[in-house]
Amino acid sequence: MNLVQQLINGIVLGHAYALIAIGWTVLLGVARLVNFGHGQIYMLAAFVTWWATVGLGLPYPLAILVAMLAGVLIGLVMQAAMLRLTFTQDLVSIMIVTLGFGHMMRGIAGLVFGGNPQVLETPLSWIDFELAGAWVTAQDLAIILVTILFFLLLHLTLERGALGRTARMVAEDPKLAQLAGIDVRRVYFAVFAFEGAAVALAAALVAPRTPILTNIGFEEVIVTFVVVVLGGIGSVAGSYVAGIGLGIFTALFGGFVSPAYATTAAFGVLIVVLVLRPSGLALGAGKGGR
Amino acid sequence: MRRPVLEARDLRVAYGGNIALDIPHLAIAPGELVGVVGANGAGKSTLVNALLGWSRGTPTVAGSVLLDGEQIGSLPPHARVRRGLTLVPEGGAVFMRLTVAGNIAAASAPAGSGRRGHDEEEIYALFPRLRERLHHTASALSGGERQMLAIARALRLGPRALLLDEPSIGLAPRLVVDVLRTVRGLVGENLSVLLVEQNVRAAIEVVDRMILLERGRILAEGPAAEMRDDPRILAAYLGEAVA
Repeated sequence: MNLVQQLINGIVLGHAYALIAIGWTVLLGVARLVNFGHGQIYMLAAFVTWWATVGLGLPYPLAILVAMLAGVLIGLVMQAAMLRLTFTQDLVSIMIVTLGFGHMMRGIAGLVFGGNPQVLETPLSWIDFELAGAWVTAQDLAIILVTILFFLLLHLTLERGALGRTARMVAEDPKLAQLAGIDVRRVYFAVFAFEGAAVALAAALVAPRTPILTNIGFEEVIVTFVVVVLGGIGSVAGSYVAGIGLGIFTALFGGFVSPAYATTAAFGVLIVVLVLRPSGLALGAGKGGR
Repeated sequence: MRRPVLEARDLRVAYGGNIALDIPHLAIAPGELVGVVGANGAGKSTLVNALLGWSRGTPTVAGSVLLDGEQIGSLPPHARVRRGLTLVPEGGAVFMRLTVAGNIAAASAPAGSGRRGHDEEEIYALFPRLRERLHHTASALSGGERQMLAIARALRLGPRALLLDEPSIGLAPRLVVDVLRTVRGLVGENLSVLLVEQNVRAAIEVVDRMILLERGRILAEGPAAEMRDDPRILAAYLGEAVA
């Protein structure tokens, strides 16, 4: 086994995990909500990217934007359906409704895109480089670069300026935020739209690594769950660190032991961490730190 | 009486099937400071919350609320705030994770509203203590400081009418007088205040008019000077002494 190759795989995978999870991180951090249809938005966005490139003949960057737009629309529709539940923070119902949305999306994807696996080919998949005896594709580098840029931009937006302050106010106390003249409803819509766009971006970048099927998405939601909890719920920086950590762990475990049990092992780590450090791994996590 | 800044007609609030508040008419004139007193559970907080359409629970609110003659009763709370009706809820609610500076910066009069909120210098002139604690998070402040910060935040929004729910709760007696005097100083042509206060003795010294609530209804109402000797207010004093 090539250790350098496994480490590089782990770093790429880690950035992919972080990017897949970031929408949920913000959703939990700002709106204290969950979305178990997250994985199916990933799946649909992967298919939309494929359809936009193959069906519409759009260049890959434009196809990514189309997928993100689809993600935004799905997020808005979901939030519109759940608005009352959101306001009452009825988490159990929200879990069930989002699971239901996930299943509906899977059905719709089957109807629209068919049951055959598809391969999302991008111009970047064909370019590869050798790095210290290991191989890395331009697609992998794109995942790393876009994730770093996305996290930096998000971190700066949330840390500085009025938008971040509004988000923190709503995250801390949505009722009190109303008294500051904030339209909390709009913030909730924006957060769901952001979640949809972020996971669609992740899908458009990460899905070319594997064939896409309408039943993908489950592993993505599980990974997201692990990253969000390990990172300290709502922490953007924590999610990044947790994503990279989980990616490297999965790659090394897959290389040294067996890829078949990597998810099982990831959950083992999650349970150990939660027992030892319930607020997650990141510094300041669990206190809404970003 | 000139057109009231804030007016409520047939304001009724119910929790489940239980009527918690029933106010046929309430009006606050420009530049007026009106006190609302009454025992615990009399409906004081329910009243100010209903005027803003805001609540931590899920009450049913009926009736009309007018701000400067404009019907605002069907608007959501944030929209009422933007129109110039502001509430400082019980407990001096501030954003605990933001610093004092962040809390103050996060509040400002809406652009295009034509109203001007207190600027930062005016806030620090009013509450010098806040300047000293500028970079502390609100969670590190004392109860009195949090109350000052909550009022400061409300003033930044440039309100036409300010609803203050028990600003003196949990404060040392000397601070109570300070806070109420500060409130008195704020009232002017551009700001009317409805002050909910359990400390009747302190409130009657600063308000123009007093409303006594009991079980969600107005039991007595009148100028502070007349209400001072009202036997029902005296009973409220006694209630306070017993509490």
